[in-house]
Amino acid sequence: MVKPLSINKLVKNYGALRAVDQVTFDIPEGQIFGLLGPNGAGKTTVIAVTTTLADSTSGFVEVFGVDVAKNPKLAKTYMGVVHQELVNQGFFNVEEILHIYSGYHGILKNHSRIEFLLEKLGLVELRKKPVKFLSGGMKRRLMIAKALVHWPMLLLLDEPTAGVDVELRRSLWEFMRELKNLGMTILLTTHYLEEAEQLCDRVGIINKGKLIKVGPTQDLIRELTQREVKFTLVNPIDKIKNQFLTKQNGKELIFEIPSSHQVGELLCSLNIPLLNIADIKVSEGTLEEAFRRVLEGGSSFA
Amino acid sequence: MLETPHRELNWTPFYALVLREIRRFLKVATQTVVMPVVNSSLYLLIFGVSLGQRLSVQTEISYLAFLIPGLVMMAALNNALMNSSSSIIIAKFSGELEDLRVAPLSPENILWAMAIGGLFRGYVVGGITFLVGLAFYRFYDEQWLVISHPFVLVYFLSAGCLAFGKIGIAVALWAKNFDHVSAVTAFIVMPLLYLGGVFYSIESLSPFWRSVSQYNPLLYMINGVRYGVLGVSDVSVVTAALVTLGALVLSHFLARFSLRTGSYQRW
Repeated sequence: MVKPLSINKLVKNYGALRAVDQVTFDIPEGQIFGLLGPNGAGKTTVIAVTTTLADSTSGFVEVFGVDVAKNPKLAKTYMGVVHQELVNQGFFNVEEILHIYSGYHGILKNHSRIEFLLEKLGLVELRKKPVKFLSGGMKRRLMIAKALVHWPMLLLLDEPTAGVDVELRRSLWEFMRELKNLGMTILLTTHYLEEAEQLCDRVGIINKGKLIKVGPTQDLIRELTQREVKFTLVNPIDKIKNQFLTKQNGKELIFEIPSSHQVGELLCSLNIPLLNIADIKVSEGTLEEAFRRVLEGGSSFA
Repeated sequence: MLETPHRELNWTPFYALVLREIRRFLKVATQTVVMPVVNSSLYLLIFGVSLGQRLSVQTEISYLAFLIPGLVMMAALNNALMNSSSSIIIAKFSGELEDLRVAPLSPENILWAMAIGGLFRGYVVGGITFLVGLAFYRFYDEQWLVISHPFVLVYFLSAGCLAFGKIGIAVALWAKNFDHVSAVTAFIVMPLLYLGGVFYSIESLSPFWRSVSQYNPLLYMINGVRYGVLGVSDVSVVTAALVTLGALVLSHFLARFSLRTGSYQRW
């Protein structure tokens, strides 16, 4: 089956700097893929090559099987993009912009779609407002509406929630989930790991231009993080010896076990009478921990 | 929701951009239409009406009549250049130019759409300047000005405005800041325009300056328009037509080159 986005051995040099180095990944239809990495890791460059804003040095990018360098016109109709930085459009109002962008994509009569987006993104009351009078958050919403106005099937979001307040961020997440449920494929770059953990089916971690880890979000977390198991006892026990024990504080015992290790195994090895256990609390690792381990460990995890 | 509607990619994106370019300058018409017209009206008033009584260029026509086509072409060319260059510069500044690159518009689409936007503004400003000139002429010389060769006039106006629109594209894409554009306008375009025979006939110049003037392509464009309106010209109309065509072709390649190599990225 044709993948909505497929990036193959992509290399992009800016002078002597290699911004993207042999990056390969693809996104299956209907998934949200998170490209994570610190600032300057090459996330935006991947998007720039995909949208033809930059040419690749070598390697190629295909959108629904269409090579973006060879047939940009067709490839561009399949994708919508929200750039990282806010775009100011001084001359037109919200509604006019959406009509103009529909036209750029070859659609002259697009009323119902524009109404749908205005409504979904809370722009209905601002439709006649010139863009320069919109707040930052509203401009961000307009950029998303603009990217979706031509019915794309692949959405590229370059740090869509950077500098956006909590409420708007939540509503954008909700909207992305909705788009996904409607069958849209989304590439999201972000450095808010909570965002990626909540939204992304799969993530790729990129650092210094190299993609060092790709996989389903939950698998990555399980593989790279520890689970914290906290026992609260009825009566304190002395002298517990266990390799996973990290803290003992009276009635409280804290263990950190690899995500692959089962709580039952731990319990058996401890030999604590079950009646002596008042409570067990297990916290899973977060993507942030996984992310940090990947970056610290460099390529040894790859 | 993912059922795509009817989409036409050959002409619609181009048409949408042409329309956008025209609507853009009409939105700020005070700056893009009214001001240039006031400007050329002042020239008409000062040179044509007050000084014109003491000047004569050719025996059979008044100086005011001589001045009108020159000013029409000067206004048209200047505004055609301004339209494409400021549209691109502002779009670079706001980040909108990246959006154009991301839309399914080919470089050829962008080039022609921007040039046609300039053509349109050139016609609007040039046309109003002509009407103002007509009114002055009726009032002071008490005659109606009859356009003697309308098709010649349309040819020179159109080819000239398209060429200047394309030069505007080339300059704006090459520019790294606002100053670059004003430098090109102030040091190259304006001198060529003013020295291109808007205000005088090169017959009145010394032989040396007359021969220097012949290397100014704008001389041919301006005299072409003058021939279209009045039926008189300092240069052969065929030569003028060929030079203008040459300028159009050259500007096309310049703009094409800029679009290929210039930067779409925001400042």
